[in-house]
Parts: sequence; structure tokens; C-alpha cells
Amino acid sequence: MRASQSVREQQPVNMAGVGFRRWAQLLSERKGSGIPALFPGARAAAGLAKDGLPGSFPKTPEEKAAAAKKYNMRVEDYEPYPDNGEGFGDYPKLPDKSQQERDPWYQWDHPDLRRNWGEPMHWDFDMYIRNRVDTTPSPVQWSSACKQLFGFIGGALFLLYLGELFPSYHPVGPKQYPYNNLYLEKGGDPEKQPEEEVKNYEI
Amino acid sequence: MAPNTHTTLVTSLIIMILFVLARPYLLSLLPKEKILATLRSLTVKGVLTAFILSLPVAISVLCVEDNAFAFSIPWFSTPSFDIFFSVKYDLYAAIFVPVALYVTWSILVFATSYMKGNPKIDHFFLFLLIFLISMILLVSSNNMFQLFIGWEGVGIMSFLLISWWYGRADANTSALQAVLYNRVGDVGMLFTMAWMATNLNSLELDVLFNNAGNYNLTAPLCGLMLAAAGKSAQFGLHPWLPAAMEGPTPVSALLHSSTMVVAGIFLLIRFSPLMDGNQFALTTCLWMGALTTFFTAVCALAQNDIKKIIAFSTSSQLGLMMVAIGLNQPQLAFFHICTHAFFKAMLFMCAGSFIHALNDEQDIRKMGGLFNLLPTTSTCFTIGSLALIGTPFLAGFYSKDAIIEALAVTHLNSCALLFVLVATSFTAVYSLRLIYYVTMGQPRFSPLLAISENDPAILKPLARLAWGSIVAGLLITCIFTPFKTPVMTLPPLAKTIAIVVTVMGLLFALELAKQTSKQLKHSPNPFTHHFSNMLGYFPLVFHRMAPKMSLYFGQHLANQMMDQTWMEKSGPKKASNTNESASAALTAAQRGMIKTFLTLFLLTSVLGVLIVLF
Repeated sequence: MRASQSVREQQPVNMAGVGFRRWAQLLSERKGSGIPALFPGARAAAGLAKDGLPGSFPKTPEEKAAAAKKYNMRVEDYEPYPDNGEGFGDYPKLPDKSQQERDPWYQWDHPDLRRNWGEPMHWDFDMYIRNRVDTTPSPVQWSSACKQLFGFIGGALFLLYLGELFPSYHPVGPKQYPYNNLYLEKGGDPEKQPEEEVKNYEI
Repeated sequence: MAPNTHTTLVTSLIIMILFVLARPYLLSLLPKEKILATLRSLTVKGVLTAFILSLPVAISVLCVEDNAFAFSIPWFSTPSFDIFFSVKYDLYAAIFVPVALYVTWSILVFATSYMKGNPKIDHFFLFLLIFLISMILLVSSNNMFQLFIGWEGVGIMSFLLISWWYGRADANTSALQAVLYNRVGDVGMLFTMAWMATNLNSLELDVLFNNAGNYNLTAPLCGLMLAAAGKSAQFGLHPWLPAAMEGPTPVSALLHSSTMVVAGIFLLIRFSPLMDGNQFALTTCLWMGALTTFFTAVCALAQNDIKKIIAFSTSSQLGLMMVAIGLNQPQLAFFHICTHAFFKAMLFMCAGSFIHALNDEQDIRKMGGLFNLLPTTSTCFTIGSLALIGTPFLAGFYSKDAIIEALAVTHLNSCALLFVLVATSFTAVYSLRLIYYVTMGQPRFSPLLAISENDPAILKPLARLAWGSIVAGLLITCIFTPFKTPVMTLPPLAKTIAIVVTVMGLLFALELAKQTSKQLKHSPNPFTHHFSNMLGYFPLVFHRMAPKMSLYFGQHLANQMMDQTWMEKSGPKKASNTNESASAALTAAQRGMIKTFLTLFLLTSVLGVLIVLF
């Protein structure tokens, strides 16, 4: 081991100084002008290149083919949104199917999203993740399901309404009232005795 | 003992209970790794100690003349509003707390075995502890603000515990469902709190009960009913409860059967003095409870997941409790809460034991013959089911029968009575179906599974809850004096209607079970089966329609419509289109053509003549 290397190992290296020196070196060698020239040449691994961004609505077959290639799709599968001023551009119109419909046993690159790397994302992808809308086909038709559910709710509410009109009542015996069957309360003459004395008890 | 000494003793015991429960959580905040390893045993011992301490408190409350202890500490105050930390330990709190602690203790011991392989088991126990503290805070609070803290606490812990296995998308979805449905109910709670603060200038329950007589209470009571519907999974806000079965079985046993789901019913029991005179509120509760109990019993008939069947059974019993509230019998509802806690928690724990033994198999069609392999668990399962269906002299009989009798002799909605009776018979049907598929017949699982039940951590809690399911009804009946005199003279039919429909349901289920061995049809596909199996199509319709509409329109309104409106219809493009058309028209008029000039001259002349004349 060389003595200078052992000395270097003993002394801590100022990494900030190393970084600054490297940056200054690059700056002096950099071609071009302006602010972009100040940044080192390493490009981030993430993010789209300029030609990967969505563009305008494709009018010619060549533009359609280029758009299909851009979105990693086959030309026959590629279909853009209609050009009606809503601003979709050349973004592909994918089928409105949620991730829940996809095969749970396939070895997806992202198993929780059921998606492979590089696949074009649906415009409403946040709506079609597994925690949101589920478009899995059901064994029963949507119209039939709605009819049965709302029919049940309506029928039950109607029955409950009928139940309010006809309450249940189980009298053990006929109603009995005191004071000669409420003679005075029912408008009897206080001066006169009632014709028939009513007693609801026996001693 | 002098009253002041008595009050001091009870207050001290209540504070000790809270401290004993909070101790493991406070210790977990210390930066010591050793504490985390012992949290499990600290939590179990803490809950057991709290249960033991709660018993003398309950006895004291029963012995005191007005059956309540209360204390209040000023918390924070504004110039116009004061909020207190106030605790009211009345009969309801005094009996519910020991029941909840006993059930929690059993579940925690069960969880030490059930969650053994989980690396974060100590956090699991902490979550359960925080939930328990929130629940005790909820039942013992004497003001709405403190009650709301407990209310939200149990809701948040429910979310965290349902999504315990957060790597599963289904668990995350179910937890979101629980939170969203509970949030709908919380809106009602907040509305009631705002109404109270605005009209009565206080959130204290005593002030509310004393001063609310002069007000029309329909609006705040509707808010409370909405809150109860959300928390207690009543019809319309019920789908989160079966979905919550994605969580671990101890969570289902504690939160989603015994404690958290009854918080809504408990809220209405607390506010029963206000509901007493409001016929609209009582009728709404009766309708809501009857519809819930019937609908969820129908849904339970055709499920194949053991936990889902028990979850729908829970929802049906919650509907029955709501019916009791609607009959203006809050005490009966509370009685059913206490007895239901025992047998429902036991059913869930038995289900968990079956699932664990069968290597996480939850489909009852792949079970069978477990009575020979897991006799103790099967016996406890059968006892729990018998208590659930209201077998005479088990726990469920005392509470369930009393509610049905009260409904039968009340001059109220006959259709509600019909729904409840049908639901009672369906309870017997799906309970027998469960026992038949799970414990009877031949095994329908792999013979290579090593099944045994020699773990005391599983068996002892089951035995404890089995004893509770047998004696709890009788015990609570003996100590709890009814506030309202029950009807003593009723016709024999009204008295025996509950047991009659139960027996009819059992016979019907036995007949159906007998037919399964004959295979009369290739596959039974009536539309009633689909309706029941797919939960009445409620999740299919509402969980697709509402989120799709709101998310789709949200994005399109924000992105397309707003952009189009501002940029094309009213903004720069509109200005350019208008200018373009205007300039085109003006250009056309200024081409130097004689006929254009003559037309304009004629038009101007006519206009001038008209102005002069008129």
C-alpha cells in the first residue's frame, strides 16, 4: 500500500468539494450556452422524452401509426378519442375495463395493479384501479339487478306503509272503562244517574 | 358507606380502569425494545385487570339509588361555550364495560395463538387496545364532544384493523368502504352536535335532556339515526360490514360483532329520553330495523363464506336491536347487545379456529365432518348457534324473545312484525345450514391437513364465552330491573310465536338439507338464489353506479367541461370566433356593391319613417 493512499484513508474526504470540482470541470468542458449548459449531462432515468408526450389528433395513417408506436400499441388496436374539442389529442381510447377484470393468476410486473411495465394507461386509470370501480361482468344483467333491488326496496316500503295502516293488535279481552263506562266524559247528564250501572269487577 | 366515599371509590376505580388499559400503550411509547416484546402479555393482563376492577364498579352502580355516578372536569372554554370532560357511569355503561372487557380478554388470548405468525403482532394488540379505550370512552361519556372522540376513534381503528393485511387490494377496498359508509353516518352526528350547540349552547347530555322539551327534535334525531345507521350497518349503509370480514378474525370477533357495531344502537339508547316523545323517530327506527333484519337474513341464506354468514347474522341482530329502539324499549335493545356480544364473538372465534385448522379455507362447501376432528370448537359453535336462534334459557332467548314478545303485543306496524318473524326463522335456517355444512357429514377437504385443537389459548377463551352464552342472559335478567313493565297478559300465540317460527325454520332447513343428498336438479338456479347470494344486488348497483358517475363526471367536469367552457365557449376562442364572424359580415357588406348600398338605404329609410311616425 502506498503511503499517500494510507494517509488519504486516514484523512476524511470532503465529498462536497469533490462534487464541486467535478461540476466545475464539466462546466468548462460543456458545449452550448445558456442555463441548460450549467447542468451536468446525466439525464434522469424517469420521465418521458419529448417525442413520447401526447400530441395532436392524428389525421393521416402515418400519424396514426406513429402514435400507435409511441403508445406501445399495435396499429390495429390503436383508436384515438374523437376530435370534438375535448382535448384528448392522440391519446388512445382503451376499453373501459377495470383492473379487477384482469387475470389474478397471471404474473404481472405490478401484481397489485395487475399491469405490465410499458402498457398504455387508460385515461381514467385512477377510476379503474382495484380499489375503485369494478366492471367485472356479473352473472345477472344490470337491468335485471336494478329491477330486483329497487323492486324489493319499493315492495318492502309499501308493505311497511300497509303495516302502518293495519297495525297488529292482540286484545286479551274487550276494553273496559271506569266510571260507568266514562258516562260523564262521553257527554252524559251530570244531574241524572246512568240508566245502566256498569261494573267491571266482582268482589 | 357514606355517599361521598362511595362516589370517590367508584371514581377511583373508573380512573384505574382507564389507566390499566392505557398503561401498555403508554409503555409502548418508551424507546425500549424490550417493552414491545412483552406488549402482548401486558395488554392481556391489563384487560383482565380492568375487567376485575369493573365488577365492583358495576355492583356499586346497581346498589346506588339513582344507579349512576358522574363526574365532570372542565376541559376548555370559550367566551360563549364550555366543554367538559364528563363521565357518566350509569347502568348501561356499568354493565356494558364488564361485558366488553370480558369478551375482549377472551379475544386477546385467542389472538395470541391466531396471530402467532404475524411479525407485527404487538402492534395488532396495541390497535385493539386503542380501540377498546375509545369504546369505553364512547359508552361512558356524558357529552357529545367526548362521545364523538370515542366514535371517531373506533371508526379509525376499524379502518386500520380491517386493512391489517394492507398488501391485499381487497382488504384496502373493504377498509375504504368501512370508512366511507361510517363517514356518511358521521355527518348525521355532526349535524346533531351543531344543532345542540346552536340551540342549547351545550353539548352535555344532561342539559340536553332537561332543556330540549320545548324544541322540535325531529332534525337532531334524524341526524342521530343516520349516525346509528352508518355505524350499526342498517339497510342502505350496511355493505361495509360483510366486506369488513377481510380483516383478521379477532378483529371481526371484537369490532364487527360485539362492540363497535353496537355503538350506533348504544347512541340511540343514550338518547332514548329524547326519542320517547317523537313518534316519527320511533317509526323510522322500527321501519329501518325491520327492513335491515329481514334483508340481511335473506342475504345470509345463500352465502358460502363462513365469516360472511356470521357477518350478515350480526347485521340481522343489529336490525332487531333497532326494532327494539323503535318499540321504545331501549333496555331490551341494550340487553340484546350484552347477550349478543357473547355468542357472536364465540361464533367468530370458532369460525377462526375452523379456518386456521383448514389452512385458511373459508368456504363452508369445503368443510365438513369437523365435529369429529375439532369437537370442542364444534360444540362451542353449536352452543353459539343455539343461543343465536333463541333456544330457551340460553343467553339469546332472554333478550330476543323479549323483543319479539314486545313487538307482538304492541299496537304497531304488523308488517314489521312479519319481517321480524320471517328473519327469526331465517336465522334458524342459516344457523342450521352452517352447522350442517361445517361440522356434520363427510369431510370435503384434503385429508393431508393436520387438524388438532390442543392449544389452550384457543380452547379456554371459547369455553369462557360458551359459559357466557349460557348464563349471561339469566344473570343480566336477574340484576337489571326493567324500567318499563313488560306486558304480562298475552295470548299463547304471542308468547310462543318466536319459538314456533324458529322451530319451523329449523324443520324447513332440515328438509332442505335432506334434499342435498338426493340431487334433484343439476344445479339450483332460481333467481332468489342469485338475489340472496349477490347480497340483493346492492353492492353491484351502488358500488358501480355512484363511484363511476362521481369520478367520471368529476374528471370530465374539471378537465373537459371547464376547459371547453372557459377557453372555447366564453374565453379566447369565443372572442376569436365572434370577431371572425363579425369581420366576415362587415367585409361582405363593404365590397362596393350597389345593391348592398341600396338595401342599406332602404332599410335606413324605413327605420327613420317608423321612428318619426311612432
